[in-house]
Amino acid sequence: MRKTFRSKRILGVLILSFMASFSATAVHAEEDVPYDTYNYNYWEDVIKTPAAYTPAGKFGGIDLGTTAFKEPRDFCISEDGEIYVADTGNNRIVVLDGSLRKVNRIIDTFTAEGIEDHFSAPYGVCVSENGELFVADSNNARVVVLTPGGEYKRVVKEPKSEILEDDFAFIPLKVTVDYADRIYVISKGAFEGILVFESDGTFSGYFGTIEVKISVWEKFWRRFASKEERSNTQLYIPTEFTGIDVDADGFIYASNIDSEGIQAVRRLNPQGKDVIQKGENGNVGGDIRYGNYGDYSGPSEIVDVVYRGKGMYSALDRKRGRVFTYDKEGNLLYIFGGVGLQDGTFQTPVAIEQIGEEVLILDAGRNVIMKFRETNYGNLINEAVGLRFDGDEKQAIGKWQEVLRLDENNELANNGIGKAYLTAGDNEKAMHYFELGMNKEYYSIAFKRYRNMILAENLGWILTGAMVLIVAGFIFKKIKNRKKGIEREEGLL
Amino acid sequence: MKKLLSKDKWLYALHTVSHPADGFYEIRHRDRGSVAVALIFVILFSLAWSVNRISAGFIVNDIDPRDVNSLPELITVLLFFFLICVSNWSITCLMDGKGRLKDIVIAVGYSTLPATVGILIGTVVSRFVSEDEAAFYTMICGVGIAYTLFMMLVGIMTVHNFTLGKTLITLFLTVVALLLIIFIVLLIVDLVNQFYSFLHSIYQELLFRT
Repeated sequence: MRKTFRSKRILGVLILSFMASFSATAVHAEEDVPYDTYNYNYWEDVIKTPAAYTPAGKFGGIDLGTTAFKEPRDFCISEDGEIYVADTGNNRIVVLDGSLRKVNRIIDTFTAEGIEDHFSAPYGVCVSENGELFVADSNNARVVVLTPGGEYKRVVKEPKSEILEDDFAFIPLKVTVDYADRIYVISKGAFEGILVFESDGTFSGYFGTIEVKISVWEKFWRRFASKEERSNTQLYIPTEFTGIDVDADGFIYASNIDSEGIQAVRRLNPQGKDVIQKGENGNVGGDIRYGNYGDYSGPSEIVDVVYRGKGMYSALDRKRGRVFTYDKEGNLLYIFGGVGLQDGTFQTPVAIEQIGEEVLILDAGRNVIMKFRETNYGNLINEAVGLRFDGDEKQAIGKWQEVLRLDENNELANNGIGKAYLTAGDNEKAMHYFELGMNKEYYSIAFKRYRNMILAENLGWILTGAMVLIVAGFIFKKIKNRKKGIEREEGLL
Repeated sequence: MKKLLSKDKWLYALHTVSHPADGFYEIRHRDRGSVAVALIFVILFSLAWSVNRISAGFIVNDIDPRDVNSLPELITVLLFFFLICVSNWSITCLMDGKGRLKDIVIAVGYSTLPATVGILIGTVVSRFVSEDEAAFYTMICGVGIAYTLFMMLVGIMTVHNFTLGKTLITLFLTVVALLLIIFIVLLIVDLVNQFYSFLHSIYQELLFRT
């Protein structure tokens, strides 16, 4: 009887400690998010990670003190931290304060050369470094330039040029401006690339054309097809750009929907050449693994991209509502977001921006701005990547070690630590971390140094051993020969 | 069994590796080969394959060690081995091949030895090479596998008393036969499955009737 009592008590203690361990994990309530947080490893398997960003509220028009948004399509952050929302369905631009507390002003009319004018489906919006407001006024086929207050400055009209086709229709969807006030416009149906205008509004040409890939197999079949058959098959036209952003050096980040799911973001240099790096998995197209059948199947459809600073950029997938963040080398850092009705998930995500440490996403289905705040995990990765971008790998090691404590499978963290050990000269430890990080190139460097070290330390032994072996073989041969000689002599006798 | 695994048989297997044409001739005409030794060689080959996959150096090894399971791999290799032997036998029977099934098994089995040795040596070497020296590993394994293929060709040519051209034609037909066998086996499996489910539904029907 007593014994059973005791065993019950032990059981009770066990259960209590079990529960305690549970509540210990429940402390991380900030990571209780309504979406999957994962990443891809070297073998492109899905690996669960802690959440890098957590939802921090949603902000609709009514919450902010105006009428509800109606299919807002784009927004943008100005240098002084104001948020400009292109409220497409309501034909207005709503200016919010940076902390998303109130509406600063609403721009729905402007006076152009004495005549009052309106927007018609303003689809894209952008504020330049000089503080000029650019509105892609899609149905009016123009880009309107205003002061931040809403005073009319000038207008960029439909381009006229020989390089444009005769039936070209100018329907500006997205607009961005670089440091030299060149205007980059994505126009609906302009497959030839991004339209570039000088600051005074003259059209200077296309930029960053996406090349069409035709497989050998398709070429082969086209050879045998008759003219009619050829005209019946679908045309090989490049995909359109969907979103655009510019970094401090004037490089353009442009997203497009890639049907192969391999490259959905381009980093275009001033000549319009793509200079993006695709990282370990050779992929900057969002999800690497996805289903082929069903509702949420197929490769990601990237609709917008935002430059996050320090070489990082985030791409927004409208298909599964996910945000993919890459570093300069194209390594996938973290993934967050999803499709749904809970806070932190989207219906029709259309645009992404960063304000301070927070990420904002505009949802045209739910007509809200969704705010995400970085977690400790996300902050550590952002800072470590930033330090690495600045070339300060030694500083980064502490951050990477913290990351490993939260996510021990993080290959980037392992590589970061490995590199620090390599520069410190601890080759054995470097090898260990590079193997965990699946980095063959650097593992090879560490291994070579390690091998040389071992050889140099033991060279005496190795050479002595080799000498002993050679001498022993020599003596052995002599003895054998002598024996044979004796046998021969005996044979003679 | 003792006779099958006598020292002479083992030594003769090694002799066959160094003198393929003569070796396979004597295997066919003087019964100097051993099926048991051939099977052991195939099993060794499979093990060497698994060992390579799991413990080759990190530089040359792209395989997730959690994916390697030597037992299913052994079964797959053995099945494939028998499939090759049987399909080759069934083709060469029709094309005046002189070899018996036993000879084919021995010829293919003995031929795996160079690949086994090459892969094992390569695995050891791979642990001491850096990225730019990885070519040595590829070369060692490649030489082993190339010699295996060469031995297989010579072996099949010799045991059937074929010319080179005829051997190549029979090898091509062997592949066709192999695919046919797989196809028929799949058909039979499907048929048996359907037949089983038919019987099963009758049984259930009877059960529910009463």
